[in-house]
Amino acid sequence: MDLAKYRAIFVEEAAENFAEMGRALLALEKNPSCADSIDTVFRMAHSVKGMAASLDYTHVTELAHRLEDRMHAIRDRGRVSPGDEIALLFKGLEALEAMVETVKNGGDPSAGDAALLAALRASAQPEVAPAESGGTAPSASPQPSRAAAGAPGPGSSVRVQAGVLDRFLSTVGEVILCTSQVRTAAAGSREDGGHFEAGLDRMERVVGELQRRALDLRTTPILRIVEPLPRAAREIARRAGKQVEVEIAGSELELDRSILDRLSDPLVHLVRNAVDHGIEMPSVREGQGKPLAGRIAIDARREKGHVTIEVRDDGAGIDLEKLRARAVEQGIVHADLAADLTPAQTAALVFHAGLSTAAQVTEVSGRGVGMDAVRATVEALGGEVEIETQRGRGTATRLRVPITAAVQRVLLVEVGGETLALPIAKVERILELPAAAIERSGADAFALIDDELVPVLDLAARLRLGGSGLEAAQALVLTEVRGERVALCAARVLGQQQIYVKPVPELLAGVRALAGFTILGDGRPVFLLDPNQVA
Amino acid sequence: MARILVADDASFMRQMIREIVEAQGHEVVGEASDGDEVVEEFKRLHPDVVTMDIVMPRRSGIDAVKSIIELDRKARIVMCSALGQESLVKEALAAGARDFIVKPFKPDAVIATLAKVVEKPE
Repeated sequence: MDLAKYRAIFVEEAAENFAEMGRALLALEKNPSCADSIDTVFRMAHSVKGMAASLDYTHVTELAHRLEDRMHAIRDRGRVSPGDEIALLFKGLEALEAMVETVKNGGDPSAGDAALLAALRASAQPEVAPAESGGTAPSASPQPSRAAAGAPGPGSSVRVQAGVLDRFLSTVGEVILCTSQVRTAAAGSREDGGHFEAGLDRMERVVGELQRRALDLRTTPILRIVEPLPRAAREIARRAGKQVEVEIAGSELELDRSILDRLSDPLVHLVRNAVDHGIEMPSVREGQGKPLAGRIAIDARREKGHVTIEVRDDGAGIDLEKLRARAVEQGIVHADLAADLTPAQTAALVFHAGLSTAAQVTEVSGRGVGMDAVRATVEALGGEVEIETQRGRGTATRLRVPITAAVQRVLLVEVGGETLALPIAKVERILELPAAAIERSGADAFALIDDELVPVLDLAARLRLGGSGLEAAQALVLTEVRGERVALCAARVLGQQQIYVKPVPELLAGVRALAGFTILGDGRPVFLLDPNQVA
Repeated sequence: MARILVADDASFMRQMIREIVEAQGHEVVGEASDGDEVVEEFKRLHPDVVTMDIVMPRRSGIDAVKSIIELDRKARIVMCSALGQESLVKEALAAGARDFIVKPFKPDAVIATLAKVVEKPE
């Protein structure tokens, strides 16, 4: 368990609890029998107790426990006693706040004031019974008004315009770039015994933390883009004379807003495909013993730094033989190779541009954005797509995308005299090797790696950076492009770096191989390559 | 692997449970921060197991257990209790909760309780 992480959450959440407690106590001061306020203080004390106990802060636990007990007694008697009791509760709150402040500053709070603890306990029994008849009528008490208290409610949120947030993030990115520029500049002078370097290390850590927090600000629940899908599915189904039910799970997971926005079209497309080509007509389904209404499940799951969104239908599945035949017919796969494709490889053919097995182009899908666009979008975001289909049982398409996009670790390589960045997540390993190790066969090149013939991609030639780079190659970067190992050939490897990825300028937006760009420590702009689009 | 719905008004506790159960390969399909929300989320997500805090705003964990059991008699609910809440735990078990875990959570105990509840038939 990451204690530091939970300590931070504790400090933050306890502060919210205290704020709410304070408001409730103020309300109780005005109206000592306000049941809601009594309940609120009780719950807040209980909550702080639970957190403190989990982190072994025994003295915080004890004080919160006393306060909770006291509130329990107050709840039973229906009101805060006239006189000093409300002041005592405020004192308890202040003491708790002080303790959590100590935690915030990295300390372990010492035992609470014995007199306070004793006072909280001493009168846990009602000293003054509610004398007046009907004195315990909490339902009649007014609600504490948050607006009147002038402070935002617990877990309060602030609306920020997206543009403001983006500019903020961009500035944080600039700070990161500046840090690395300072580091580069400092590399020349090493006369201060490492103080400067140590300072830079600290600064990088702090900036990294700032950036993580800043990126968190931009995450938005997936709900926003999946919410309209059930209605869209119903509408498409209605026009086709089909029935469909859509189930959504995991929509509370959060993704970077910029990623989320770009996933909207692909998801709509997948749902359309599912209704149009997956789900059968009710009569057909009835004949197969399936429920009349087709089922589409949209399921988001989180795993480490990624979120996988799956769109699954219980329809007819893809006719792989037909797909194979179409691919051969259109020259996408050679007939000899087509026969050897596994079912999974065959299904993946749907991601090729211009390939559709739909017998007729329907009004809603079968033209316009296709599965190739879905794949291009997801890969441009640094993600992957996967399709799984079973005849008669249905199809599942999974989009796996990173939660945050703006920062990436990259490998810097030199190609044709230019420096380029490759996403490190895509790099399997780097091989130093003499150019002679590359075998040529016509226009293609291969290298024997782990007893396997791996195609070598001449980056310099592909990117037209001054002729073939195979002769000058000293390094091969082993990467995976859609499940296949590919070696990218580079003149040399310059190292790894964390970069803040800026979007490709509009003028170059048409160049698919470019996933973004950044400014290096020495001020040079460098493009980030998308290996999927170079292969 | 079970699909779990976590209900607690403190995100601290929700996160802690999430970390413990996800390390075991379970999946947290949803979180709820009050007694009304957990009932709504239960209807929507049909989780295998619900971990239910007792003290929550709007509707207490015990009332939420009653509502969920009314919806689905076979619902598997594990109460999250603190020391001193024994009588409330008894009330929750009588209302249909299957078992309970005690705060502060001990990962092994949480996992063992969940395994017991998940594996038990019906």
